[in-house]
Amino acid sequence: MDPKVAEVLEQAEKIISSSQNADQIYIEIFGKNGIFTALAGEMKNISPENRAAFGQSLNAAKQQIEKALTKKRSSLVVSRSSTQSIDVTAPGKAQKIGHLHLVSQAIEEIVDIFKRLGFTLQSYPEVDWDWYAFESLNMPKDHPARDDWETFFVKSERSAKYGQQVLTPHTSNGQVREMERTKPPIRMLNISRCYRRQIDVSHTPMFHQFEGLYIDKKVSIPQLKGTFDFFTENFFGKGRVTRLRPHHFRFTEPSFEVDITCGVCMGKGCRMCKSGWLELGGSGMVHPNVLRSGNLDPKIYSGFAFGWGIERTIAMKTEIPDIRLLYQNDLRFLEQF
Amino acid sequence: MNLLIPLSWLRDYLKTDVTAKTIREQLSLCGPSVEREEKRGEDTIFDIEVTTNRPDAFSIYGIAREANAILDWQKAKTILVPPSGIHETITPQTKQLLNLEIKIDTKLCPRFTAVVLDNIKIAPSPALLKNRLEACGIRSINNIVDISNYAMLELGNPMHMFDYDKIHEAKMTLRESRKGESLHTLDGINRKLPEGTIVIEDADRLIDLCGIMGGENSAVSSRTKRIIVFVQAYDPVKIRKTTQTLAFRTDAASRFEKGIDLDSIPEALSRAVNLCKKYAGAKVASELIDIYPNKQKNISIELSDSKLSNYLGIDLKLTDAARILKSLGFSVKTGNQELVATPPHWRAADVIDEEDLIEEIARIYGYHNLPSELPVGQIPQEDETDLSRVIKLKTALKYLGLTETMAYSIIPADWLKLTEIKPQDSVELANPLSSDWQFMRPSLLVSLADVIAKNQNMRTNIKIFEIAKTYSKNGNELPIQELKIGIVLQNSNFEQIKGIVENLFEVLARPLVVIARSEAARQSSLLEPSLSAIVNSHNKEVGTIGILNHKVAQYFGIDGQTAVAELNLSTVYQLPATSNSYHPIPKFPPIIEDVSAIFAKETPVAEIIKTVSEAGKPLVKNIEILDIYVDPKIGKDKKSVTLRLYYQKTDGTPTEEDVKPIRESVLSALEKSLSAQIRK
Repeated sequence: MDPKVAEVLEQAEKIISSSQNADQIYIEIFGKNGIFTALAGEMKNISPENRAAFGQSLNAAKQQIEKALTKKRSSLVVSRSSTQSIDVTAPGKAQKIGHLHLVSQAIEEIVDIFKRLGFTLQSYPEVDWDWYAFESLNMPKDHPARDDWETFFVKSERSAKYGQQVLTPHTSNGQVREMERTKPPIRMLNISRCYRRQIDVSHTPMFHQFEGLYIDKKVSIPQLKGTFDFFTENFFGKGRVTRLRPHHFRFTEPSFEVDITCGVCMGKGCRMCKSGWLELGGSGMVHPNVLRSGNLDPKIYSGFAFGWGIERTIAMKTEIPDIRLLYQNDLRFLEQF
Repeated sequence: MNLLIPLSWLRDYLKTDVTAKTIREQLSLCGPSVEREEKRGEDTIFDIEVTTNRPDAFSIYGIAREANAILDWQKAKTILVPPSGIHETITPQTKQLLNLEIKIDTKLCPRFTAVVLDNIKIAPSPALLKNRLEACGIRSINNIVDISNYAMLELGNPMHMFDYDKIHEAKMTLRESRKGESLHTLDGINRKLPEGTIVIEDADRLIDLCGIMGGENSAVSSRTKRIIVFVQAYDPVKIRKTTQTLAFRTDAASRFEKGIDLDSIPEALSRAVNLCKKYAGAKVASELIDIYPNKQKNISIELSDSKLSNYLGIDLKLTDAARILKSLGFSVKTGNQELVATPPHWRAADVIDEEDLIEEIARIYGYHNLPSELPVGQIPQEDETDLSRVIKLKTALKYLGLTETMAYSIIPADWLKLTEIKPQDSVELANPLSSDWQFMRPSLLVSLADVIAKNQNMRTNIKIFEIAKTYSKNGNELPIQELKIGIVLQNSNFEQIKGIVENLFEVLARPLVVIARSEAARQSSLLEPSLSAIVNSHNKEVGTIGILNHKVAQYFGIDGQTAVAELNLSTVYQLPATSNSYHPIPKFPPIIEDVSAIFAKETPVAEIIKTVSEAGKPLVKNIEILDIYVDPKIGKDKKSVTLRLYYQKTDGTPTEEDVKPIRESVLSALEKSLSAQIRK
């Protein structure tokens, strides 16, 4: 090794062993004014025939210094950590994460499940015309739901074409609106606040419903069953199935009540459910008059619709005893989910 | 509507060996739902829910008819036996015929039947009638009154028994009541009748509140010798109006409200007469009176093979479909590719079109017997809507540490007052449940403030948000209903709420500018006027931000300072989102220098940055605010601001020669335009 290089090498080793600051060491050796940098700068003073040898020495020295420096860095880390002690069982410093409302969580899950079947979430007015909420849905003028005992009416001018303004008691007001928005095939999900003039232990004046509407050619009852089975298995768990029983709604024909198998006994019958089945909500094949309200020909198109209460669906999954808890906004409740 | 069916009574008409359990299961799966059952001695009582479109099933015999059809399709042995006497023709049995002079308004009463019976012996009812009535929750009075209730439960037709001798001059006029009329009903209450109520008057006084309850003055008593058996139908809308106005509804009224099958009336009358003969010694003493001007229509419905199989999803033979319909009382003609069915009179009001026929066939076949398959049609292509975008936004806020609340959209008048929006400019309910639920909220902040107040005793660091629609009046159109987000931070300040809003706009990928509210601009009375600002994006106003107005805090009893923001998401989502595109990473490091200076307190930071940015061209590529502080030592109306400047070049690290002129330009601009005192 060239003697000048060897000298710098010795100096570098001294710096490394004496200092405890790895960055400082680096600067003293390889920095702008570092000893090795200065040495490398001497290259221009070397005669051409000796440059190769000088260069080789430089490289060898550089490698040695870098090796020593790496070793030094490691030992510094080790010595630092060996003087520290940590209690691994003590709580960490986590970020405080907030909570989504149970209804939002349910909505998210429902939207996700139906997305897989090609249903898109739409939004329709909560304050709507009587026509969309009732008349277009084959409900005659004297139907009990249309009188002011059960439905909230808004102080407003009556429209000649659409009647009074009401707070919609169900998400079905979106059905004809959807048929006006787009032509079949239709796969719509409508989740919205609804309002009924009722307050007691199991009813709040405001609640959420989620509505599904499927309109195409040759829609059948088995397709309705299949859609519900798909939803219940994904939302409530494997093995849960649905069944349909006869019921009556003005806007569907045939109409059904939808039950799902009890989660506790899986349909066999138990203390919780008695019969093995729990009520989920209502549904049916879209009534031809409703299709006509939406300017669709019932000879060509058919469809099914369903409307279920979200609060009820949540209560079935989480065992909340009283749905009014959902709107009391007690943080001790909201933070449980 | 629910009705109680004692199984022993049902089995009078439904002759089958099938067990109670099976009857219950099959009925619930294919017809009216058996919701509960009770044991009463040896007997079982079913509590059945009958939907409003099936008044024909709202009776013992009606349920027997349903069960018979359902069990028949299941291949169980079963026979339907009608109550005795329903087909008997009513012929006078006495020599002297009694008269009744009837005048009716057929618009109010589409069918009126009556007959006079003589030789009545009022007595307690036999045990069978008594027990059955009591099992169904009806008190036994005497044989005649009991028969009217018994026949009603059995066949679904309400009827009334009048004491013939109490009808003055044997005259009955059925009309609408006039203003100020009243009647003492059977239950002893004197009722003032609203105008337009259906009533019957004899020669000089009202004797019946039609469809609801008879009058005391014409009622059957222990001394009654002659009766009028009276079976009819009324305009359902009028009956319902009356029961609502009087807040008084009876078993009879509930049935009239749903509509009576006009062609079933003679059968009910015959049955009642039969029972009166059997249990009260009655003899028919008049001709049958039957006023029925507009006969119920019987329509035929055609249903094609293909439509039926489209709905059922399976191929059901037309002959099987016809068999089902026949067991329900339909008359059916089967063709090659279609059938034509005529509903029986008791279903005429309910079964009107093909879909109604499909329902009859499918439910008896059993919905539970149909397969289950996923839809196979084309999936429509739709854009994402605001509501589903909002799901991502909510999740982001959750991970930023906020909790979502959901409050009622309807608020009390007091809360509306806090917003200073006048009732006539708001969305008000015409029929609120109470004064707590009167107006549709125009802002989410009042509800959120309420949540803070309710929870503040248990938490000191509440951070909540709500995303929901607000409502504002829009002339005669539907109210404007836009999606808003409200954020409220307890015990907080402007810096913190602005921080959340900055994060929010990062998630929304839209630009954010917060600007001071001008003096002239309309204040949001929910925010403290001097401590509120406007939120803009793409030069559009999208919301407000600031400190909750002390008046609002006081109203709700909130301690401490509350920081709030409310943004219009409907507007924001319509603005273009910024998309990220690649910018080459600088090859050369910047020169970083800090500048500290003292400014007048009111100098907006935005202006400082703007001045530096202008003066720093072309080298100053980035400016950060490191620190802002106020201290009496630097001056009363002054603040010290430390900025970090990044001098960057694309072709090399800036040298002192590059930086010096720019640095001086920046410092000089600060001193000259903003009267800053540079600190060394």
